[in-house]
Parts: sequence; structure tokens; C-alpha cells
Amino acid sequence: MRKLDIELAVGLFLIVGTICLGYLSIKLGKMEIFGGEGYNVHAIFSDSGGIRTGSAVEIAGVEVGRVKSVSLEDYQAKIMIHLDQDVKIQEDSIASIKTKGLIGEKYVEISPGGAEEMIQPGGKIRDTQPPVDFEELIARFVFGKVE
Amino acid sequence: MYRTSFYGGIVLCFLICVLAAPASAGEPTVQIKSTIDKVIDILNDPEFKAPEKAKERRRLMRGVADERFDWQEMARRSLARHWKDRTDKEKDEFVPLFADLLERTYMNRVENYSGEKVTYTGERIEGKYALVSLSVFTSKDVEIPIEYRLQKKSDEWLIYDVSIEGVSLVNNYRTQFNSIILNSSYEGLVAKLKDKVAKN
Repeated sequence: MRKLDIELAVGLFLIVGTICLGYLSIKLGKMEIFGGEGYNVHAIFSDSGGIRTGSAVEIAGVEVGRVKSVSLEDYQAKIMIHLDQDVKIQEDSIASIKTKGLIGEKYVEISPGGAEEMIQPGGKIRDTQPPVDFEELIARFVFGKVE
Repeated sequence: MYRTSFYGGIVLCFLICVLAAPASAGEPTVQIKSTIDKVIDILNDPEFKAPEKAKERRRLMRGVADERFDWQEMARRSLARHWKDRTDKEKDEFVPLFADLLERTYMNRVENYSGEKVTYTGERIEGKYALVSLSVFTSKDVEIPIEYRLQKKSDEWLIYDVSIEGVSLVNNYRTQFNSIILNSSYEGLVAKLKDKVAKN
């Protein structure tokens, strides 16, 4: 009888655990794949700096979207960005890939411009800035700056 | 007789193709190159090497830069959303001030030019926008990648942003101007810029 109780508890625990895991997967997956309301824009970077699908997209440090996909196009990185519906960005906005802290995760920062026209859904952020290569900077510092 | 001229024709065609290939760089590259060549010519001109001619030389280089840089567009992009709040009078005052700031900041470095090699590495045109990339090789053979972003305005490709080592000039000033304006005011920014231009 007591053995049955333990087995029942383990079974229930397992079921609850599986449901939690499923919920979590769907919730996270949904955020990245469907993302609810919003629209896509893309940007071409000369170097993606290892940014991944699901990385944050921020304006002034506030998350406004996520990276939907990263692919190679003409030997450059094409990054598809999913932005929240109520976030509008100007035609002359600049997208740059940055690192949180010195060795933190990579994210896309958009610095809004001042143009009248807005980038339409499916449009392109023309001006981009690849991530700063810290290794190169350190190398330059170590071996002396040639300027 | 016919045979020789036939072969001659083939060789000629081949030569034309080979020689024409480097010249196939598009309009934006050609225009950027002509501007850079003009500046290098001024820098190499022995007539202006004397220190007392430095002012004259700087004036000439500024003239060349004025033809290729779209100061108004650069200033507008750097002020970003604060540009709209400016009156025409403020804009007219800001653009030359911004151009002076860039001149003071970058002319010194350009004047240090000592025969560095410039190679044009690529070009991309999309409608009225273009990107020209080039590399400057220092005397120690270190490569500095530079990108010019241009916009076509009545047959001329004008520069609206420069990236050195991937760092955009407009983005740099946009961030700084935004934080100065938010922390003090537009007048505070202008005072700071005037101060900086006067100091150098």
C-alpha cells in the first residue's frame, strides 16, 4: 500500500514536470517563432559577431523585438529582426551589434534617426555597424597603436 | 595578311577587356577616388609643405571636402530626432558648426599623411544609396578598413556617413548629441561644440 503511494507521487511529479516543460517550450518557442503582433525588417552586416536567433533587439536599452533569423547572403550576414507592432523606426536608423558588458551576450541596438519616412514592414535598415572586435582592440593595445 | 589582323583583333579585344576591367568600378568609387586623389595631391604638393602655408593648405582641403561631404545630411542624421525640433535659423547655424567640428577633429590626422597606400575594395549601389569600401595601409602594413556611405543628389554622390574600422561617425555623434541634449539642452550642445571648435 505504502509502495503504491510513493509510485503515485513519483508519477504525479513526472506528469506535472512534463507539463511545465511543455509550457515552457511553447512559451519560449512562441516568442521566437511567432512573436505575436509585430513586423519584420532586415539588415545586412559585414560581420554578425555570432549573434543568434532569439537575441534581443533594443532601443535605448529597452527590448523592442528579437532576432528572427541569421543567414548568409553574398558572404555577408543577413539578420531578420522581428519588431513589436507599436515600435516604428525611421529610414535613417542605424542598427549595430553590441555586447552586454565586456563578455556578455550579443544584442542588436537600433539608434533611431530623424527622417520623416519610417521603415515599412519587410523593409531594410540600410545603415549598420558590425560589432567591435575586442580581441583586435586588445591586440592593438598590446602591440601598440599604429597611428 | 588577313590572318595577322584577325589575331591582332583578338589580342586587341583581350587587352581592352583586361585594361577596362579595373575601370569598371562604378560611379561612386570613381567620385570618391577623385576626391581622395585631390586631397593626396594637395598633401604631396611641395609648395604647401612649409609650416606657414599650413592654413592655406587646410583651406584648400576643406574646399575639396566641401564638394564631397553632405554636411547638412550628416548634421541632420547626427542630430536625428532633435533635428525636427530645430528652427531654420538653428539649422543654418548648426550645419557649419558641425562641419567645423569634423574639420578640427579629422584634419590633423589627414595632415599626418605620409604616403599610405589606399586600395579600393568594394562598392554596393542600391537605388540612390551606395557604399564604397576601401583600405588604407599604414607604413607598418596594418590595414585600416574605411567605408563611405553615399547618397546620390543630382548626379553627384555625396557622403553622409563614414565608418572607420566599422565604427560609424554619424552613430558616434548621434549617441553623444542625444545624451548631451537630454542632459542639458540643445543650446548646451551648441555651446559645447563652439567651445570645442574654438579650442582646437
